[in-house]
Amino acid sequence: MIITKKKDRKKLLESMGRYNRFFLLGCSECATLCGTGGQPEIEELKTELEAAGKTVTGGFVAKTGCQALGTKVELKQFKEALDQTDCVIVMSCGAGTQSAVEIFPEKAVYPSNDSLFLGNMTRLQMFDERCSLCGECVLDLTGGVCPVTACPKGILNGPCGGTKDGHCEISAEIPCAWVRIYDRMNKLGRLEEFGQTTLAAKDWSASIKPRKLNVREQKDKKSGGEEKKK
Amino acid sequence: MSSSFREALESGKFVVTAEAGPPKGTDISTLLHDLDLMKGKVDAINVTDNQSAVMRICSLAICKIVLDKGMEPILQMTCRDRNRIGLQSDLLGADVLGIKNVLCMTGDHVLAGDHKGAKPVYDVESVQLLKVVDGLNTGKDMSGNELKGSTHFFQGAVVTPEATPPEPQMLKFQKKVAAGARFFQTQAIYDIDKFKEFMAFARKFPVKVLAGLVILKSAGMANFLNANVPGIRVPQELIDEIRGAEKGKALETGMNIAARHIRRLKEEKICDGVHIMAIGMEDKVPVIMEKAGLL
Ligand code: SF4
Ligand code: SF4
Repeated sequence: MIITKKKDRKKLLESMGRYNRFFLLGCSECATLCGTGGQPEIEELKTELEAAGKTVTGGFVAKTGCQALGTKVELKQFKEALDQTDCVIVMSCGAGTQSAVEIFPEKAVYPSNDSLFLGNMTRLQMFDERCSLCGECVLDLTGGVCPVTACPKGILNGPCGGTKDGHCEISAEIPCAWVRIYDRMNKLGRLEEFGQTTLAAKDWSASIKPRKLNVREQKDKKSGGEEKKK
Repeated sequence: MSSSFREALESGKFVVTAEAGPPKGTDISTLLHDLDLMKGKVDAINVTDNQSAVMRICSLAICKIVLDKGMEPILQMTCRDRNRIGLQSDLLGADVLGIKNVLCMTGDHVLAGDHKGAKPVYDVESVQLLKVVDGLNTGKDMSGNELKGSTHFFQGAVVTPEATPPEPQMLKFQKKVAAGARFFQTQAIYDIDKFKEFMAFARKFPVKVLAGLVILKSAGMANFLNANVPGIRVPQELIDEIRGAEKGKALETGMNIAARHIRRLKEEKICDGVHIMAIGMEDKVPVIMEKAGLL
């Protein structure tokens, strides 16, 4: 899921100084789990805005904020509140915020959170980054531990000289990715492979931004092709 | 002309390399002075590449100055600050300037340095960089394009014999050999018996190894290294030896230790030479060499 954290509230209120009437839009998925965009956070921000002399015309936790079409439909019931609003505060991730920009082309849309990373939830409201969406997965070659993400240098061929007692040179709190990979490969009986294969430099063109994927088009083409054959 | 550093290593001579750390700023008077002191004594000078991720004069420019002094430079290249285009371009540039030796490293993380907000690059890393150098030497760039004139590098890498756990580090050493490393300079070592064990392993490969030595200035410095520098372990008896030295004699004791280690490494033919990292005390390099009977 996408991990978010609340922006510094004082700065947030300052940045929205020019607006007075707000609608608060949360998200029931990642942002709710992160504690940044669920019903309690909407209530909390509403209280803070009102204390600062602002008006909150309404609030809603969208089912999936990054899904613009569905969110637009859900928001129909708030037409009146939204009409009175001069700024929508989106309490999800940067993607959710930009869904709102699409839905409200003529309104100010502000994010209340900073979006951090694609995270695994390890315990309630505790998250780890394990994949950086590089576009060319190498987990099959690294025992299932991602060196691109778990090693701060993204080294692809074994530990740097900085591993100490299995920890990363950057911080004793980070386990060295390559010691983990070594241990996994050892358990899988694939150490020989680990020693003998040199992973080539990654093809970063697989992660040039902005990326787009249209699975539908591929499917359409496929079925279209088959029809033609018939 | 081939690398005189390589020739020295291949002649079977016990080789000595030292380090020149480019300064932060354009005043290179101290550096020039230190080079003069080491000239004619050491076989080659490593020029560090924004060491510890602290921004300084680039390694390439200082390598050229070392060359102009009639000395043999080893260009240290890290992957932290340049992508594959920048690295290859600098390597071609180094070749036309007459630089023959390159030491390929991944490089300390930007978080270790003085520009913590910088974007770390690491487009490639040490093993891949060794392959890049090998490719340029045979006339091809990383994309397989033909070069008009290939490079002539004698390429090396680093290894940390004291890394814990050691097994993955040793596998990486093998990968570096397979990627074309011809020589290795090690992270600082202080435990010669333990280093002998590493060398028993390293000797299985067709590469030259120079043992890294960092001069201990005080017991405090030794404790600092143990606590803060991964891959360095100063044994307690050496710390006690320095602590037990007469007042004002700590540095001299540290230099004696370095000289003693060099003698042993040479006499027992444990490795092919030493790499002395004086870290700001370059003027002491000739003194240590003399104490070790190398001058
Ligand atoms: S290699 Fe790592 S960053 Fe790339 S897709 Fe796989 S898990 Fe994600
Ligand atoms: S210590 Fe391990 S995880 Fe940390 S930078 Fe080095 S190889 Fe990567």
